[in-house]
This record gives sequence, C-alpha cells and structure tokens, in this order.
Amino acid sequence: MTVDIEEASPAPSRGTPRGGRAAPGSGGRWRPPGGWVPYLLVAPAVLAMLAVLGYALVRNLVISFQAFGRRQLISRTTEWTGLDNYRTVLENDRFWDSLFRTVAFMAVNVVLIMLIGTLIGLLLNQLGRRMRLLLAISLVAAWAMPVIASTTVFRWLFDTQFGVANWAMRGLGFEGYEQHNWFASGTSTLAIVTALIVWASVPFVALNLYAGLTTISGEIYEAARMDGASGWRVFWSIVAPIMRPFFLITTFLEIIWVFKAFVQIYALNGGGPDRGSETLPVMAYIEGMGQNQYGTGAAISVLTLLILLVAMSFYFRLILRQEKENEAV
Amino acid sequence: MKRKLVAAAGMMTLTVTLAACGDDGSSGAGGGGSSDSITVWLMDGSAPETWVSELNAAFEAEHGVEVNLEIQQWDGVQDRVTTALSEDGTVDVLEIGNTQTVGYANTGGLADLGDFADEPWNEAMLSSARVDDTLYAVPWYGANRVVIYDRGIWEEAGAEVPTTRDEWIAALEAIEANTDAEPIYLPGQSYYVMGGFIADEGGNFAVEDGDSWAGALNTPAGEAGMDFYGQLQAFSNSPTDIDEASPQQSTEVVPSGNVASWIGLGWEAAGAIAAIEEQGGEADFGYFPIPGVTADQLGHVFLGGSNLAVSERAGNSELANEWLRMATSQEWAQRYVDANAGGVVPNRTDVTAEPEPGSFAEAMVASADVGFLPPLTTGWANVETEPNPIKELMTKALNGEDYQGAAEEADAEITDRINRE
Amino acid sequence: MNTRTLGRLWRNGVALLLAAVFLFPVYWMFSTSFKSNSQVLTRDPVFFFTPTFEHYSTATGVELFWTYVTNSVLVTLGAVLLALVVALAASFALARMRFRGRRGMVLAVMMAQMAPWEVLIIVVYLNARDLSMLNSLGTLVLVYFVMALPFTIWTLRGFIAAVPRELEEAALIDGCDRFQAFRRVIFPLLAPGLMATSLFGFIMAWNEYAMVLVLNKAPDAATLPLWLTQFQTNFGNDWGATMAASSLFTVPVLIVFLILQRRVTGGLAAGAVKG
Repeated sequence: MTVDIEEASPAPSRGTPRGGRAAPGSGGRWRPPGGWVPYLLVAPAVLAMLAVLGYALVRNLVISFQAFGRRQLISRTTEWTGLDNYRTVLENDRFWDSLFRTVAFMAVNVVLIMLIGTLIGLLLNQLGRRMRLLLAISLVAAWAMPVIASTTVFRWLFDTQFGVANWAMRGLGFEGYEQHNWFASGTSTLAIVTALIVWASVPFVALNLYAGLTTISGEIYEAARMDGASGWRVFWSIVAPIMRPFFLITTFLEIIWVFKAFVQIYALNGGGPDRGSETLPVMAYIEGMGQNQYGTGAAISVLTLLILLVAMSFYFRLILRQEKENEAV
Repeated sequence: MKRKLVAAAGMMTLTVTLAACGDDGSSGAGGGGSSDSITVWLMDGSAPETWVSELNAAFEAEHGVEVNLEIQQWDGVQDRVTTALSEDGTVDVLEIGNTQTVGYANTGGLADLGDFADEPWNEAMLSSARVDDTLYAVPWYGANRVVIYDRGIWEEAGAEVPTTRDEWIAALEAIEANTDAEPIYLPGQSYYVMGGFIADEGGNFAVEDGDSWAGALNTPAGEAGMDFYGQLQAFSNSPTDIDEASPQQSTEVVPSGNVASWIGLGWEAAGAIAAIEEQGGEADFGYFPIPGVTADQLGHVFLGGSNLAVSERAGNSELANEWLRMATSQEWAQRYVDANAGGVVPNRTDVTAEPEPGSFAEAMVASADVGFLPPLTTGWANVETEPNPIKELMTKALNGEDYQGAAEEADAEITDRINRE
Repeated sequence: MNTRTLGRLWRNGVALLLAAVFLFPVYWMFSTSFKSNSQVLTRDPVFFFTPTFEHYSTATGVELFWTYVTNSVLVTLGAVLLALVVALAASFALARMRFRGRRGMVLAVMMAQMAPWEVLIIVVYLNARDLSMLNSLGTLVLVYFVMALPFTIWTLRGFIAAVPRELEEAALIDGCDRFQAFRRVIFPLLAPGLMATSLFGFIMAWNEYAMVLVLNKAPDAATLPLWLTQFQTNFGNDWGATMAASSLFTVPVLIVFLILQRRVTGGLAAGAVKG
C-alpha cells in the first residue's frame, strides 16, 4: 500500500504518505494508552457479536452433527448422528455441481461488477454537472430498490408470455421471440440473475470510485497530460495505484456478497430449471429449510463457510500483515 | 452535531422502552397462554368473512373469551407453522392442508383429537387426518377441479360437452378448427391434474414398498397419464415450465383472452368472473366434470382441502377443542357450505350442499366421489416442496425428452424425499 | 465540430443510455403501481395510460398497516443507532489503541462480514425461542444491529485512522481529556462515515424479511417487509398493490439516499480506502 487518500475525508489534507497514522516524526512521540480502556471500548461489540452471531454459529455447528428436522424442532428432542449429514452432503453430486457453479457464477459477476462499476465511476468523473447528477440519481435509485420489487420486475421483464424483453426483441425484428423462454436452462437463468445482480451492485462500486476519484487533485492529471500520457496510461499509473486499497476491499466485499447471494437466484427461478441454477446458498436453503432437514442445511453452511475461509485466506493474510506494519510504527 | 446526538440518544431510549412494550404486549395478545383468549390461524382465502366473524362472536358469547383470528399469508407459511408448533401458546387451533396433515401429526406437534372420532365425517376426507387410527385433525372442507368453458366459444365451434376423453379431444379439435380461440389453457406443470389421469389408470405418484415408499411415475400408468396430459397440453399456448399459479390462470390469463376452456377450482372460477366483469365484460361460463376414459366413470380428480388441528403446545387446549367442536358442528359446517354457495365438498355426511343447476359446484360435487389423494405419508410434503420433481418431469416430457429416463430420475428424487420425516 | 465536443457528446450519450438502463426497472415498478390490473400483464406492454391510485389505497388500507410502519421505523432506527454507538467505541480502539488481541479482533470483524445469515435463521430462531425472546421488537433490533455491526466497525475504523493524529494531540495539549478530544476533534470529521454506515444498516434492516417471518409471528410485532409480500397469494397476485407497496417502501430510502448522497459516497470511499 503506497498512498492513502487523505482527501477523501474532510480532514485537512497533509498529503504525507501513509497519512496521519504513520506520519514520520509524529508516531514516536505519542503513545496510545494501554490498560483496560481499549478492552472496555471493544467489549460491547465483542459481547454482542458473541451473543448473537457466535452463539448462532456454535449452535449451527452443533445441529450439523444431529438429525434435526421438523420432529426434533417441534418435540425439542436431540438425536446425534455424528458425521452423517456431512457424509450425505459430500457424497451428493449436487453439492459439487453447486460448488463449481457458485465459483464460476461468482467470478463472472465480480469481474463484471468491478469492470462496469469502474468504467461508470470514471465516466462520472468526466461528465458535466447535470449529466453527472442524472446518472448518479439513476444509480442511487437502482441501489435503493427493495430486492422483492427488483426480482419481481426482472421476472416480468423476461416473462415468456408477457415480458418486455420478448416484446422488444419482436419489435426489433428478431425471429423466434413469440414465446422465447429466457429461463429455459440453468445457464440462461444464471445469465438473467447476473444481469440483476450486476445491475444492483454496480452503483455501490461506481459511486464510491467516483467519490474517491474526486479526491485526486486535478493537477496530477494536468501534469500527466502535459507529459503526453494517454488516458489508459493515466489510469494505470495514477488512478489505479491510488485507488488500490479501494479496489481490494470492494472486490473482497463483492466476492462475499455474490457468493452469499440467495434471494435473487431463488426468487427468479427457484434454482431451476431442473436445479440447473442452484448455487450453494440456494442448495442449503432447499435441502435445509425446504425439506425441513435443518441438520443437513447446517452442514452445507459449515462447509460453505470453510471453503470461503480458505479461498479468502490470502486476503486475511494481507490484512494481518498490514495491521502488523501499522503496529510496528 | 451535538443536537443531533442528543436527538439520537433520545430516540434510543424511546426504542428500548417501546421494544420492551412490544415484548409484553405480544405475549399477552399473540400467545394463547392466557386463559381468556385463544388464537386461531386460518389460511388467507379459506373462510368467508361473515361466517368466521359470526362463528367467533357466537363462541365469544358462549365462553366469554376472546378469539384472536390471525389470517396467514401463503408465502413462507411452512416455516411459520413449523416454528409456531414448537412454541408454547403461539397458536391454539390451526388450518393445515390435507396433504400436509400427516407430516405434521408425526412431528408430535398436533394434539390427539380422539374425542371427535365419532362425528359423521366424510370418510374420504378423514383419511388425510388420521395416523394409525389416531385422529390428529378434523376435516374442514374439500374442493376439486372441474373443466370451466366459455359457452359462447363452444357454441361457435359446434363443440359438445364431452363425457369421455375421446369426446373431449374431439371438442378441442373442433374449437381449434372453427375458432381462433385457445381450445384449452393448460400450463405445463399442473401436477394434480396429471395425477388424476394417472389415477384413472390405477396409479399414483408413489406406492408403498414394504416399510417405505417409492416414486411410481416410471410405470405404465404414469406414462399413460402423462401422455394424455400431453395430448391436452398440445392444445394450449401456455409455456411448459409454469404452473397454474404463475401467472395465475384465473385472474391473469383467462380474462385477457380468448380461452375456450381451462381446468380450475371454485375460487378460480369466481376470480376469473370477477376479473372479467372488472374489465367491463361478462363471463359466460359452463362447467363439466373432468371426463373419464369411458362414459360410465368420471375422471379422477385430486381431492384438495384443509383440516383443522389443535396444537399440542396450545395455550388452552380445552378452549381450543371447544372452538373446533363448534366450528365443525353440523350447524356451523352447514353454514360454512352455504356461505360458500355450495362450492365446497362438505366435511360431514349430515351437511348437504345443494348446488344450483349449471353451477361450478354441481360439476364439482359430481366428481367428488372419484377423488384421489396423494400418498398420505409424513414425507409427502417434502415431495411437493419446490423444486418439485413431478413438475420438472412434466416440463421435460412436454418438451419431448424421453419419458422413462426423466421419470426414473423423478422417482429417485421422490423416493429420497418421501421417506424423510 | 472538434474532437473535444465530439468526446463530450459521446460521453453524454453513453451516460444517458446508462441512466436509462439503471432507471428502467425502477420506472417499471412505479409505473405498474399506477396501472389498472388489466394493464399489468399484457402481451404488448402498456406505456401510456390513465393513472389509478386504487393500488395505493389497497396497500395502505391493510389492517395494522400503521403498526407495521411504526415497528419498522423503530426497529430500523434502533438497530442503526445501536450499531453506530457500539461500532464507534470499538473502531476507535481498533484504529487508535494498542492492546493484546487487537489484530485478532480486526480479523474477526473481517470474517464476521462473511456470516451466512440466511442459513442461520433457524438457529437464531431456536436461540430466541429458548430464551423466550420471540415476538419482540427488541430481539429484532439486537439481531439487525449485529448484522450491521461488522461493516460499520470496519468502515468507521478506516475513518478514524484517516484523522491525523496531530489534530488529536493538539487538542490534548490544549487541555482536553481523551474523551473530549475524541468528541471535539474526531467525531465531527466522522460525519460522512456515520452517514454511510447508517445508510448501509438502514437498508439492511429496513429490507430484512426472512428473520422477522419466523421470529415475530404475532401480527402486532410484524414489520413492513411482511406487509410487502401479502399481495402475492395463491389466489392471484395483486401486482398493482405489490408495486404500489414496493414504491412506498422504496421512497423513504430514496429520499434519505438523495439527501445524504454526497456525504455518503465520500464516506464509503474514505472508509474503504483505508481498508
């Protein structure tokens, strides 16, 4: 990490590398207090997370070793079955299909979201005031629309009989869109889900990138242009390095969010047709809540979490290293 | 900034106080734990409003307690019922679909209703409420599908009301040839209609196999049933991958156009008529029972409906039983049937439905005797849960895939699910 | 026409197209809410029509509508404010203090953002049931607060770290104690971050459906997302009412968003950049 964007916050700009945290000559003089104060400050957060999230995760782990269905839920009985749930899940081809599908789906979505989001963010930075406001408001509206409404509208737009998409294709003179079924296969269903998720996620990336870009002073661009640098060059040598931390955290968040995406996929076609658009969260829901096999659902979620942890470990290492550097000052 | 913070802090206190109030309020109002009220859950659309409010008024007058009627939405109801049955006093009496009752009975969540065993129940309905001779629910109402047709279009086409499958196909051919209407609207996944055709051949979705159950679609009966469904569906413009609910055939398909006939329930017919009238049109519907293979027997129809049960964890079982007794008594059962204009199959033999000639109810009651039920096992609800393997099989078969291969897959999935608790 | 004008025209064209793409589903939601039922699903979509307001009266005429509104507002505000206060304390310690377990906690906050809440519904429910915490707005506040907490801590931490230490030191030299320095110097600079995170929490809590569906079955403890789904039933979907309800449901978010938008986007970026 080379440069932090001080200007992004309303703090007076100092423009020193590493920002205030590690400004040379200042870190050494001032020592933060140790003792019990920091523990007191983090205590409420730690307690709340342990009580709600931690307790839930532990119980989730516990029931993943049980036959836990409707009868056990209602009669409040416990039946330990050891690793049976895990065995069932891991022996199920559907689990591996879903895993593969989830990873591919996530990769495509995150690439598209980051790419389109970045391009729109850059475009926002270059527009006039009025056009910028118009585009920004459109993005905000898309971001704010409740998922239940957006999935319903997308379902309609691509409806076989009454969909605007088929109507538009007919209007444009394409053949075969009398009753084209956009949800005929798992892949085409996931393509529509992708459209929905990208549409809903791009605003977050674009608006934030734009906000970050406004903090890069115009002089830097001018100087670069004087040197005859192309737009491409300017992006890679100025914008990209400055915004690197932004890209890192945003990509991380998008990976997690898309990996966990459930409502959009389930609401559009229930993971179908013939389970062809079933991702891991959808599978956990169908096999868990849908079939009242909560133990199996718990096992799938534990496995999903483990996979995600392993996949993201490089990022956690990055974070830890950064923390260490900060502490070393 | 300071002022905002103060406002924020004030809001916080308010929230906490009110949250605490919510806590208190609901355990009194929602829970039937107190002795002066019971909570009844009925599904959206099941009970005519006047009937249920008169019933509750009468009950409140007789017992001096309050009845909290909570109408449940269909969306997410499975999770709500399951969790509610695990809570003490959340619900006392509840409506459960007849194909779901056995499953809930086996969870231990429903109370034994042995006291009600001697009432003159409709025998066919009773089977869905009983497990090994123990009664876990009592029948409330039944309903089945008939063919609803547009008299004008049928007349124009010169089509006759059929009494056999062959006549039915001939009538649809006549409509296709002589009018520009859609002869029948039949979505690809109306699996209970298909189940009737399988029952006509003597089959069912699944059969008992020793101690367990096994999917039975990859059978001659299954294939013949699907084959006839396919013949009918070929007359429809509907996509093959939707069921009758999305789009809702009665309010979203039939009113907007030129549908000569469709297969539906009583409330669907009523909904279509209302929607057509709202558009300024006039519905001219006739009704006939689904024809059988031969003229001497009508086609089998799925006997849908609901039962009423008492939660094992009811806050007040005694009052819950009293409410149930009143609601299903001869008097109130008769009033229920009357309030539905005879459009339901009565739950008791001493209640009569006297449908008007030419009405939906008349056609419906005619085929109620050849009603069929899916396998009444704990796991049947799992089979019906989306993604439903029967629906997937139907879409594949209608899209021209090899029936037996697809049916084998569907059977495997059904066998898997139906034997789960 | 020189290349500069051409470039601007081209950019404006693209921007217009993008705006149309992003707005279309939103527009469709609003326009459907004013259509009569026969105009909702048609083979040829209806673009021009005489608006009807009946769906809005259907949507707001639902029994207990105002209870849902009150509950939603209370739960959302409660969760957001609680998250802000708790996260503020924690993020200050994480950004500014040195203590054993700090790095572990940073990592935990990071990982907590991966929590699969959709799957945890049943265990959260079991915990609440066994502790007799069902049908309570307080429970919802607690759960939504924890759902929003990791992101809030993470973002605020970035903000606090971005405030130059010298400013704080200057305040200390001027005779402020630690708390006063925080309140007078850091807190005002956090405004965008507070806005950004509270908006994130707001949207999350405002929209949450699956938890409240099983946690709060008593009608007087339900929230607006449950209301949103009640126009879609087995007996036909009242699309007009669904879209009217969705529009009403979106408007508050949209207004809050538009008012805060400038600060918000600045806020998120600063938090993120400090990641």
